[in-house]
Amino acid sequence: MVGVDSPGSPGIETLLRRSGRIKENDWIAALVSSVKMRSLHAALVGRGVIGSAEIQRCAAGAIRDGTFAVVAGEVERCFLDENADSPLLPARNGIAVDLLLSETAVLMKGVAGLPVAVSPYRDRLVATDKKAATEGQWEIMALATGRRTARDLAFSLGRGLHPVTVEVSRMLGAGLLEVVAPATSSGFSRWGLSRLRPRKATAQDVGTTQPSSLPLRQPGQALSNSGIA
Amino acid sequence: MLVLSGSPFPIQDWSELDYDALNAEMRKLREAVAGVTDTMIAASDGIPIVADVAKNVDPAHISALAASSLGIARQSAEVIGMGTLSQTVVFSSEGYMAVYAIGRLSLLVVLGDKGLNLGRLLHESRPVIERVGAILAA
Repeated sequence: MVGVDSPGSPGIETLLRRSGRIKENDWIAALVSSVKMRSLHAALVGRGVIGSAEIQRCAAGAIRDGTFAVVAGEVERCFLDENADSPLLPARNGIAVDLLLSETAVLMKGVAGLPVAVSPYRDRLVATDKKAATEGQWEIMALATGRRTARDLAFSLGRGLHPVTVEVSRMLGAGLLEVVAPATSSGFSRWGLSRLRPRKATAQDVGTTQPSSLPLRQPGQALSNSGIA
Repeated sequence: MLVLSGSPFPIQDWSELDYDALNAEMRKLREAVAGVTDTMIAASDGIPIVADVAKNVDPAHISALAASSLGIARQSAEVIGMGTLSQTVVFSSEGYMAVYAIGRLSLLVVLGDKGLNLGRLLHESRPVIERVGAILAA
Protein backbone atom coordinates (compact mmCIF):
# COMPACT_ATOMS: atom_id res chain seq x y z
CA MET A 1 0.00 0.00 0.00
CA VAL A 2 1.60 3.28 -1.11
CA GLY A 3 -1.21 5.76 -0.40
CA VAL A 4 -4.72 6.18 0.97
CA ASP A 5 -6.99 9.04 -0.04
CA SER A 6 -10.08 9.37 2.13
CA PRO A 7 -12.42 12.27 2.92
CA GLY A 8 -12.46 10.87 6.44
CA SER A 9 -8.85 11.65 7.34
CA PRO A 10 -6.34 14.36 6.43
CA GLY A 11 -4.00 13.28 3.66
CA ILE A 12 -0.29 13.93 3.74
CA GLU A 13 -0.72 17.35 2.06
CA THR A 14 -3.07 18.54 4.82
CA LEU A 15 -0.88 17.01 7.53
CA LEU A 16 2.23 18.76 6.24
CA ARG A 17 0.67 22.10 5.39
CA ARG A 18 -2.07 22.61 7.97
CA SER A 19 0.31 21.71 10.78
CA GLY A 20 2.69 24.42 9.52
CA ARG A 21 5.43 21.90 8.67
CA ILE A 22 5.53 23.19 5.09
CA LYS A 23 4.56 26.75 4.21
CA GLU A 24 2.15 27.43 1.37
CA ASN A 25 4.64 29.23 -0.87
CA ASP A 26 7.16 26.37 -0.49
CA TRP A 27 4.44 23.84 -1.32
CA ILE A 28 3.34 25.72 -4.44
CA ALA A 29 6.93 26.21 -5.62
CA ALA A 30 7.61 22.50 -5.12
CA LEU A 31 4.47 21.61 -7.08
CA VAL A 32 5.73 23.74 -9.98
CA SER A 33 9.15 22.11 -9.85
CA SER A 34 7.62 18.65 -9.59
CA VAL A 35 6.11 18.90 -13.06
CA LYS A 36 9.56 18.80 -14.63
CA MET A 37 11.10 16.54 -11.99
CA ARG A 38 8.15 14.13 -12.11
CA SER A 39 8.33 13.82 -8.33
CA LEU A 40 6.95 16.07 -5.61
CA HIS A 41 9.05 14.18 -3.10
CA ALA A 42 12.25 15.09 -4.98
CA ALA A 43 11.07 18.69 -5.45
CA LEU A 44 10.43 19.18 -1.72
CA VAL A 45 13.69 17.56 -0.69
CA GLY A 46 15.58 19.45 -3.42
CA ARG A 47 14.31 22.78 -2.10
CA GLY A 48 15.44 21.85 1.38
CA VAL A 49 11.90 22.21 2.72
CA ILE A 50 11.78 18.80 4.36
CA GLY A 51 13.91 15.69 4.61
CA SER A 52 13.23 12.50 2.72
CA ALA A 53 12.93 10.43 5.91
CA GLU A 54 10.34 12.81 7.36
CA ILE A 55 8.24 12.63 4.19
CA GLN A 56 8.34 8.84 4.37
CA ARG A 57 7.39 8.87 8.05
CA CYS A 58 4.51 11.25 7.37
CA ALA A 59 3.34 9.28 4.30
CA ALA A 60 3.30 6.04 6.29
CA GLY A 61 1.38 7.76 9.10
CA ALA A 62 -1.17 9.12 6.60
CA ILE A 63 -1.67 5.61 5.18
CA ARG A 64 -2.28 4.13 8.64
CA ASP A 65 -4.65 6.95 9.58
CA GLY A 66 -6.44 6.78 6.22
CA THR A 67 -6.98 3.04 6.59
CA PHE A 68 -8.38 3.62 10.07
CA ALA A 69 -10.72 6.25 8.57
CA VAL A 70 -11.95 3.85 5.90
CA VAL A 71 -12.53 1.01 8.36
CA ALA A 72 -14.20 3.32 10.91
CA GLY A 73 -16.56 4.63 8.22
CA GLU A 74 -18.84 2.95 5.74
CA VAL A 75 -17.74 1.35 2.47
CA GLU A 76 -20.59 1.57 -0.04
CA ARG A 77 -18.88 -0.03 -3.02
CA CYS A 78 -15.54 -1.39 -4.08
CA PHE A 79 -14.03 -1.43 -7.56
CA LEU A 80 -10.68 -1.54 -9.32
CA ASP A 81 -9.71 1.69 -11.07
CA GLU A 82 -6.72 1.19 -13.33
CA ASN A 83 -6.68 4.87 -14.27
CA ALA A 84 -6.48 6.23 -10.72
CA ASP A 85 -3.91 8.96 -10.22
CA SER A 86 -0.78 8.04 -8.28
CA PRO A 87 -0.52 9.58 -4.81
CA LEU A 88 1.25 12.95 -4.75
CA LEU A 89 3.63 11.73 -2.06
CA PRO A 90 3.56 7.93 -2.02
CA ALA A 91 5.22 5.87 0.68
CA ARG A 92 8.15 4.64 -1.40
CA ASN A 93 8.53 1.26 0.24
CA GLY A 94 4.82 0.89 0.88
CA ILE A 95 3.22 -0.96 3.76
CA ALA A 96 2.27 -4.62 3.48
CA VAL A 97 -1.53 -4.93 3.39
CA ASP A 98 -1.74 -7.71 5.98
CA LEU A 99 0.42 -5.71 8.39
CA LEU A 100 -1.67 -2.59 7.76
CA LEU A 101 -4.92 -4.43 8.42
CA SER A 102 -3.64 -5.99 11.62
CA GLU A 103 -2.46 -2.58 12.84
CA THR A 104 -5.83 -1.08 11.94
CA ALA A 105 -7.63 -3.82 13.85
CA VAL A 106 -5.60 -2.88 16.92
CA LEU A 107 -6.52 0.81 16.47
CA MET A 108 -10.21 -0.07 16.06
CA LYS A 109 -10.13 -2.23 19.17
CA GLY A 110 -8.50 0.62 21.07
CA VAL A 111 -11.15 3.11 19.95
CA ALA A 112 -13.95 0.68 20.79
CA GLY A 113 -12.49 0.37 24.28
CA LEU A 114 -12.19 4.08 24.96
CA PRO A 115 -13.70 5.13 28.29
CA VAL A 116 -16.09 7.49 26.50
CA ALA A 117 -17.40 6.29 23.14
CA VAL A 118 -17.14 8.80 20.32
CA SER A 119 -18.16 8.55 16.68
CA PRO A 120 -15.51 10.41 14.66
CA TYR A 121 -17.94 11.26 11.85
CA ARG A 122 -21.24 11.84 13.61
CA ASP A 123 -20.66 13.35 17.06
CA ARG A 124 -20.42 17.14 16.87
CA LEU A 125 -18.53 18.61 19.76
CA VAL A 126 -18.72 21.77 21.80
CA ALA A 127 -16.27 23.03 24.41
CA THR A 128 -17.40 23.50 27.98
CA ASP A 129 -16.30 26.26 30.36
CA LYS A 130 -13.58 24.06 31.91
CA LYS A 131 -9.95 25.02 31.41
CA ALA A 132 -7.81 22.98 29.03
CA ALA A 133 -4.82 21.19 30.60
CA THR A 134 -2.59 21.17 27.52
CA GLU A 135 -2.02 23.29 24.43
CA GLY A 136 -3.36 20.46 22.27
CA GLN A 137 -6.58 20.39 24.26
CA TRP A 138 -6.86 24.16 24.06
CA GLU A 139 -6.54 24.00 20.26
CA ILE A 140 -9.32 21.42 20.08
CA MET A 141 -11.56 23.42 22.42
CA ALA A 142 -11.05 26.59 20.37
CA LEU A 143 -12.36 24.76 17.30
CA ALA A 144 -15.14 22.81 19.06
CA THR A 145 -17.99 25.18 18.23
CA GLY A 146 -20.73 22.57 18.14
CA ARG A 147 -20.51 22.20 14.36
CA ARG A 148 -17.36 20.08 14.05
CA THR A 149 -16.88 16.35 14.44
CA ALA A 150 -13.59 14.69 15.37
CA ARG A 151 -13.00 14.27 11.64
CA ASP A 152 -13.56 18.01 11.05
CA LEU A 153 -11.23 18.85 13.95
CA ALA A 154 -8.53 16.61 12.48
CA PHE A 155 -8.68 18.48 9.16
CA SER A 156 -8.68 21.89 10.87
CA LEU A 157 -5.74 20.97 13.06
CA GLY A 158 -3.73 19.06 10.47
CA ARG A 159 -3.57 16.05 12.77
CA GLY A 160 -4.53 12.43 12.20
CA LEU A 161 -8.10 11.24 12.68
CA HIS A 162 -7.12 8.50 15.12
CA PRO A 163 -5.11 10.64 17.57
CA VAL A 164 -7.77 13.36 17.49
CA THR A 165 -10.54 10.82 18.12
CA VAL A 166 -8.65 9.40 21.10
CA GLU A 167 -7.97 12.89 22.49
CA VAL A 168 -11.62 13.88 22.04
CA SER A 169 -12.70 10.81 23.99
CA ARG A 170 -10.33 11.77 26.82
CA MET A 171 -11.63 15.34 26.79
CA LEU A 172 -15.24 14.13 26.87
CA GLY A 173 -14.33 12.08 29.92
CA ALA A 174 -12.66 15.09 31.53
CA GLY A 175 -15.70 17.25 30.90
CA LEU A 176 -13.82 19.58 28.53
CA LEU A 177 -16.08 18.71 25.60
CA GLU A 178 -19.70 17.71 25.17
CA VAL A 179 -21.49 16.04 22.28
CA VAL A 180 -24.12 18.32 20.76
CA ALA A 181 -27.58 16.95 20.12
CA PRO A 182 -28.07 16.42 16.36
CA ALA A 183 -31.08 18.72 16.29
CA THR A 184 -29.06 21.65 17.63
CA SER A 185 -25.81 21.11 15.73
CA SER A 186 -27.03 23.32 12.90
CA GLY A 187 -27.52 27.05 13.31
CA PHE A 188 -30.11 28.07 10.76
CA SER A 189 -30.80 31.71 10.19
CA ARG A 190 -33.29 33.30 7.85
CA TRP A 191 -33.35 36.44 5.80
CA GLY A 192 -36.13 38.27 4.10
CA LEU A 193 -38.59 38.16 6.96
CA SER A 194 -37.40 40.87 9.30
CA ARG A 195 -35.07 42.70 6.97
CA LEU A 196 -36.85 42.44 3.68
CA ARG A 197 -40.48 43.03 3.03
CA PRO A 198 -42.15 41.62 -0.04
CA ARG A 199 -41.38 44.06 -2.75
CA LYS A 200 -44.17 46.34 -3.81
CA ALA A 201 -45.01 46.74 -7.44
CA THR A 202 -44.29 50.23 -8.66
CA ALA A 203 -45.89 52.13 -11.48
CA GLN A 204 -42.78 51.36 -13.48
CA ASP A 205 -43.29 47.62 -12.98
CA VAL A 206 -46.84 47.54 -14.24
CA GLY A 207 -46.92 46.18 -17.71
CA THR A 208 -43.28 45.16 -17.59
CA THR A 209 -42.68 41.80 -19.13
CA GLN A 210 -39.96 39.45 -18.01
CA PRO A 211 -36.91 39.85 -20.19
CA SER A 212 -35.59 36.69 -21.78
CA SER A 213 -32.07 37.50 -20.63
CA LEU A 214 -30.15 40.19 -18.80
CA PRO A 215 -31.01 43.69 -20.03
CA LEU A 216 -28.64 44.88 -22.69
CA ARG A 217 -27.83 48.53 -23.21
CA GLN A 218 -27.39 49.46 -26.83
CA PRO A 219 -24.70 51.91 -27.92
CA GLY A 220 -26.09 55.43 -27.70
CA GLN A 221 -28.95 54.37 -25.45
CA ALA A 222 -29.20 56.19 -22.14
CA LEU A 223 -28.77 54.01 -19.07
CA SER A 224 -32.11 55.18 -17.69
CA ASN A 225 -33.89 53.86 -20.81
CA SER A 226 -32.06 50.58 -20.97
CA GLY A 227 -34.01 48.71 -18.35
CA ILE A 228 -30.92 48.52 -16.16
CA ALA A 229 -31.88 49.70 -12.72
CA MET B 1 -45.68 37.24 -12.53
CA LEU B 2 -44.49 40.71 -11.64
CA VAL B 3 -40.87 41.58 -12.09
CA LEU B 4 -38.60 44.29 -10.86
CA SER B 5 -37.62 46.81 -13.45
CA GLY B 6 -34.82 45.42 -15.54
CA SER B 7 -34.48 42.24 -13.49
CA PRO B 8 -35.78 38.72 -14.03
CA PHE B 9 -36.22 38.34 -10.29
CA PRO B 10 -39.83 37.75 -9.27
CA ILE B 11 -41.61 39.40 -6.41
CA GLN B 12 -41.93 36.71 -3.79
CA ASP B 13 -43.15 36.65 -0.24
CA TRP B 14 -40.46 34.67 1.56
CA SER B 15 -42.62 34.39 4.66
CA GLU B 16 -44.63 31.72 2.86
CA LEU B 17 -41.61 29.52 2.31
CA ASP B 18 -41.39 26.19 4.09
CA TYR B 19 -38.22 26.99 6.03
CA ASP B 20 -38.36 23.75 8.01
CA ALA B 21 -38.21 21.77 4.79
CA LEU B 22 -35.27 23.87 3.54
CA ASN B 23 -33.45 23.41 6.85
CA ALA B 24 -33.97 19.66 6.66
CA GLU B 25 -32.50 19.50 3.15
CA MET B 26 -29.44 21.51 4.18
CA ARG B 27 -28.87 19.43 7.30
CA LYS B 28 -29.14 16.19 5.33
CA LEU B 29 -26.58 17.40 2.80
CA ARG B 30 -24.11 18.39 5.52
CA GLU B 31 -24.51 15.03 7.24
CA ALA B 32 -24.34 12.98 4.04
CA VAL B 33 -21.14 14.45 2.59
CA ALA B 34 -17.94 14.47 4.62
CA GLY B 35 -16.25 17.85 4.61
CA VAL B 36 -19.31 20.06 4.11
CA THR B 37 -18.93 22.86 6.64
CA ASP B 38 -21.57 25.45 5.70
CA THR B 39 -24.59 25.67 3.42
CA MET B 40 -26.69 28.58 2.21
CA ILE B 41 -29.66 29.09 -0.07
CA ALA B 42 -29.91 32.51 -1.66
CA ALA B 43 -31.83 34.29 -4.36
CA SER B 44 -29.98 34.77 -7.61
CA ASP B 45 -29.57 38.47 -6.79
CA GLY B 46 -27.43 37.51 -3.77
CA ILE B 47 -29.99 37.99 -1.01
CA PRO B 48 -29.71 35.10 1.50
CA ILE B 49 -32.88 33.09 2.09
CA VAL B 50 -31.65 30.63 4.71
CA ALA B 51 -28.19 29.73 5.98
CA ASP B 52 -26.59 27.05 8.12
CA VAL B 53 -23.15 28.52 8.72
CA ALA B 54 -20.46 28.93 11.36
CA LYS B 55 -20.34 32.20 13.26
CA ASN B 56 -17.31 33.43 11.34
CA VAL B 57 -19.09 33.09 7.99
CA ASP B 58 -21.22 36.04 6.89
CA PRO B 59 -24.06 34.66 4.75
CA ALA B 60 -24.80 38.06 3.23
CA HIS B 61 -21.28 38.41 1.89
CA ILE B 62 -20.96 34.81 0.74
CA SER B 63 -24.36 34.85 -0.95
CA ALA B 64 -23.52 38.04 -2.82
CA LEU B 65 -20.18 36.63 -3.98
CA ALA B 66 -21.77 33.32 -4.93
CA ALA B 67 -24.47 35.07 -6.95
CA SER B 68 -21.84 37.12 -8.74
CA SER B 69 -19.65 34.15 -9.58
CA LEU B 70 -22.62 32.08 -10.72
CA GLY B 71 -23.90 34.96 -12.87
CA ILE B 72 -20.52 35.42 -14.55
CA ALA B 73 -20.14 31.68 -15.09
CA ARG B 74 -23.68 31.43 -16.48
CA GLN B 75 -23.10 34.26 -18.92
CA SER B 76 -19.76 32.74 -19.91
CA ALA B 77 -21.33 29.35 -20.57
CA GLU B 78 -24.08 30.94 -22.67
CA VAL B 79 -21.77 33.25 -24.62
CA ILE B 80 -19.31 30.44 -25.35
CA GLY B 81 -22.15 28.11 -26.23
CA MET B 82 -21.39 25.54 -23.56
CA GLY B 83 -25.02 24.94 -22.66
CA THR B 84 -26.77 25.45 -19.36
CA LEU B 85 -24.63 26.11 -16.32
CA SER B 86 -25.14 23.75 -13.41
CA GLN B 87 -22.44 24.67 -10.91
CA THR B 88 -19.22 26.51 -10.21
CA VAL B 89 -16.54 25.30 -7.83
CA VAL B 90 -13.82 27.46 -6.28
CA PHE B 91 -10.75 25.35 -5.50
CA SER B 92 -8.50 26.90 -2.89
CA SER B 93 -5.63 25.69 -0.77
CA GLU B 94 -7.80 25.26 2.33
CA GLY B 95 -11.12 24.17 0.86
CA TYR B 96 -13.90 24.63 -1.65
CA MET B 97 -16.92 26.76 -2.42
CA ALA B 98 -19.44 25.09 -4.69
CA VAL B 99 -22.36 27.10 -6.05
CA TYR B 100 -25.29 25.31 -7.66
CA ALA B 101 -27.95 27.00 -9.73
CA ILE B 102 -31.48 26.24 -8.61
CA GLY B 103 -33.27 27.20 -11.79
CA ARG B 104 -32.57 30.81 -12.71
CA LEU B 105 -33.97 32.36 -9.56
CA SER B 106 -31.97 30.94 -6.68
CA LEU B 107 -28.79 29.15 -5.78
CA LEU B 108 -27.26 26.79 -3.26
CA VAL B 109 -23.84 27.53 -1.75
CA VAL B 110 -21.82 24.73 -0.16
CA LEU B 111 -18.56 25.42 1.64
CA GLY B 112 -16.23 22.55 2.37
CA ASP B 113 -12.86 21.83 3.93
CA LYS B 114 -9.84 20.35 2.17
CA GLY B 115 -11.18 16.84 2.64
CA LEU B 116 -14.51 17.54 0.94
CA ASN B 117 -15.55 14.66 -1.29
CA LEU B 118 -16.47 16.68 -4.38
CA GLY B 119 -17.70 13.69 -6.35
CA ARG B 120 -19.98 12.68 -3.51
CA LEU B 121 -21.19 16.26 -3.17
CA LEU B 122 -22.13 16.42 -6.84
CA HIS B 123 -23.96 13.10 -6.53
CA GLU B 124 -25.82 14.04 -3.35
CA SER B 125 -26.59 17.63 -4.34
CA ARG B 126 -28.57 16.83 -7.49
CA PRO B 127 -31.69 15.50 -5.74
CA VAL B 128 -31.31 18.17 -3.04
CA ILE B 129 -31.41 20.89 -5.70
CA GLU B 130 -34.51 19.33 -7.22
CA ARG B 131 -36.29 19.26 -3.87
CA VAL B 132 -35.15 22.72 -2.82
CA GLY B 133 -36.29 24.08 -6.18
CA ALA B 134 -39.71 22.54 -5.62
CA ILE B 135 -39.91 24.00 -2.09
CA LEU B 136 -38.96 27.47 -3.33
CA ALA B 137 -41.49 27.28 -6.15
CA ALA B 138 -44.33 26.05 -3.94
